[in-house]
Amino acid sequence: MTRRTLPALILALTALLTLPLLAHAQEGRLVVSLSSDPTSLFLPRAADRTATNASLPLYDSLVWINEDLEIEPALATSWEVSDDGTEYVFTLREGVTFHNGEPFTAESVVATWESGSDPSNDYANFYDAADLVEAIDDYTVRITTPEPNATFLTTLAISWGMVPPAYMAEVGIDEFARNPVGTGPFRFVSRAAGDRILMEANPDYWRSGYPLVAELEFRVVPDASTRLAAVQTGEIHIANRLTPDQAMALANVSGVEVVSYLNDRAYYVGFKNVGAGVGTPLEDARVRQALNYGSDRFGIIAAIFAGQAEPLPGFVIEGNLGYDADLMQPFPFDPERAQQLLAEAGYPDGFEISMGCPADGYVNINEVCLALQRSLAGIGVEVNVEFRTTNSFWSEPQYGAVGAMFVDSWSSTIGEALPRLDGALMPGNYYTAWEDQRFADLIDEIAMTVDRDERAALYQQMHELMRDDPPFIYLYQPTIFEAVSDRVSGYNPRAAEEYYLFQVSLD
Amino acid sequence: MFRYVVRRTLESVLLMLGVLVLVFFMVRLTGDPVSLIIPMDAPMAQREAFREMMGLNEPLIVQFGSYMLDAMQGDLGTSLRRRGEANLDIIMVRLPATMQLAFAALAFAVLVAVPLGLAGGMRPGSAIDRVARSVGLAGQTIPSFWLGMLLIVLFAVTLGWLPSFGRDGFSSLILPAVALGFAGMGQLVRLTRSAVLDVRRADYVRTARAKGMQGARVSFRHVLPNVAIPIVSVLGIQFTYLLGGSVYIEVVFAWPGLGSLLESAIRDADFPLVQAITIFISLFAISIHLLTDLLYGVLDPRLRRS
Repeated sequence: MTRRTLPALILALTALLTLPLLAHAQEGRLVVSLSSDPTSLFLPRAADRTATNASLPLYDSLVWINEDLEIEPALATSWEVSDDGTEYVFTLREGVTFHNGEPFTAESVVATWESGSDPSNDYANFYDAADLVEAIDDYTVRITTPEPNATFLTTLAISWGMVPPAYMAEVGIDEFARNPVGTGPFRFVSRAAGDRILMEANPDYWRSGYPLVAELEFRVVPDASTRLAAVQTGEIHIANRLTPDQAMALANVSGVEVVSYLNDRAYYVGFKNVGAGVGTPLEDARVRQALNYGSDRFGIIAAIFAGQAEPLPGFVIEGNLGYDADLMQPFPFDPERAQQLLAEAGYPDGFEISMGCPADGYVNINEVCLALQRSLAGIGVEVNVEFRTTNSFWSEPQYGAVGAMFVDSWSSTIGEALPRLDGALMPGNYYTAWEDQRFADLIDEIAMTVDRDERAALYQQMHELMRDDPPFIYLYQPTIFEAVSDRVSGYNPRAAEEYYLFQVSLD
Repeated sequence: MFRYVVRRTLESVLLMLGVLVLVFFMVRLTGDPVSLIIPMDAPMAQREAFREMMGLNEPLIVQFGSYMLDAMQGDLGTSLRRRGEANLDIIMVRLPATMQLAFAALAFAVLVAVPLGLAGGMRPGSAIDRVARSVGLAGQTIPSFWLGMLLIVLFAVTLGWLPSFGRDGFSSLILPAVALGFAGMGQLVRLTRSAVLDVRRADYVRTARAKGMQGARVSFRHVLPNVAIPIVSVLGIQFTYLLGGSVYIEVVFAWPGLGSLLESAIRDADFPLVQAITIFISLFAISIHLLTDLLYGVLDPRLRRS
């Protein structure tokens, strides 16, 4: 071999060896902005969507919800549900290790449940969904729920990020939250409070070939205008929570694309049939229908949201299980029909009623409250708007701080209306201010019906009931705007603003 | 002098006690933190368990007692949201960023304002004086958060010279420091200029000139030391304002300091943390005022004797 051919050979060999690696090389640092500093990177303590999104890359659960909202295997390869729907036996994936080297086994599921249901956690209720978690052998685990639970697998998928038992036992929850360890696509590197969180690709990730970037950095940028500027300069690649105006300002900016989608959140006016609602005209279903006909939700969307929201048909909304666009139409704006209904109910000249409003609690909510007041004045109903600070508005059970009606919203992270139905209509819940046994029975039935098709039919039944005898004035479902650098591909935020970044790449 | 120091110190302690009482009750006027922390659909039992765990079920007066007792011993409690973290630790992590920004803003203000005010004041009506007056007016009328946005659009988005947010070395310090220091600079220019206007007519300046001393020497030997007194007292106030008043600027520039921490703590209804930050900033402000007053006494011998 001559001196000249040796380097050439080495070069050729190197090229040959690295080529397959380059095919899915993990390159670049993806920079994602967060609108607030996460309270915790331990999922049960991740207080809000922002904190959850920053935590998710570190963990995996037993199952995963894919883009089509179907439940897929993740750290469990298969599972069986008992006939009575209260017992799940999961077969776990073998050969998975945590970022600290601990193997993932059935004991990890037990530790996850035990640490998650600690009462110091914000979301202990997600772990209380299980009565008992037992390791049958290293790779088989049995989870028992107190009663059949239609959304148990969904809860499992979105909140049970698996934690390593030995490490958790050694350091405790507080320290774990400072140095979190999971099996996820990225592992924790460092965090500067209020500033940034750095993660790096997990080289041993069980989804082979993923993640697609070498590093992931979250930057805390509380001001939306600054996020807008920073995505234009290329300092961040994904800027979320922009206003419609800001998104429109980006229309002609090169290098940045606007992503918009309907948020799984229902805005509504609640009626009370407890407390301040007792003895008011609201007790008559015709009055509640009249208020729905008399509320100009279309005008509100056009004038206050620049058309960037959808009128709300009910509590089962676009993207939810059981939603049917033909079946579920919003109340039309029909003041004449409203006045006719009021007359039938014995209020031809209208009446006076109070409505609580969480001042600045949601985007444009103050304007919405005042627009409703004007709209309902048109059918003779005089609404006294009571603005409250958000904290006092939500302080009292059953919205006790305000009068007979109140403006609020419920989101759902599971692709079904169940959480908002349960939270707003199930007697005994903190915020339930409209108590009706028919609603409660139907919600119970939905919650315990494990079959998806059957559940979908029940949701439609629920919709009918809540339209004929409305417990709410249905308002709107907002559009979310985000700006994404055109270097990013594979970014698919879900309707509850959650995202999974292992499929995202950067060119 | 000794009596003066004792009196000012006692006043400061009383003021601090007042702050402690006010902060505790004002924070609690805003409602129940548990409602904002525990998810809306959590069962009642979880809500109550959390309330008990955080000591929020105790009567208000009992909570107040233990809070005062702890505060006296320098214990500012633990955060409701960042569970398991001591408030003082959270504050100490954020403090360097705020101090850095405050000093940079102050340096910017002084370096621009004092020479400009001095030059303007020495030659009233001249071109440089007109500049000084315009800068003074601009500083005092342009709101800092608006200026911040404007700086970001110009220097980060359009020109691409400086980062738009964050804390990444010196280049990221420039825009927030200018935005934060701008108002103080305006005030300082006007103050320096008017103080110079007063002093330059004083007998000792006229005497110095009569001795044949030249312009610059007069400025530095005789005018500046006497102008320094009002400037120092205003700087003290400015600095405390920069520490406590940087909330907007820190939020706009995503600067990880005490201001943005306070903003998020208020939004999260993290009562203990809001209390701790407010107490910390108040203590700081009161100490600075005390120091400024004492320094004032050193700079102005007339005060020591009275």
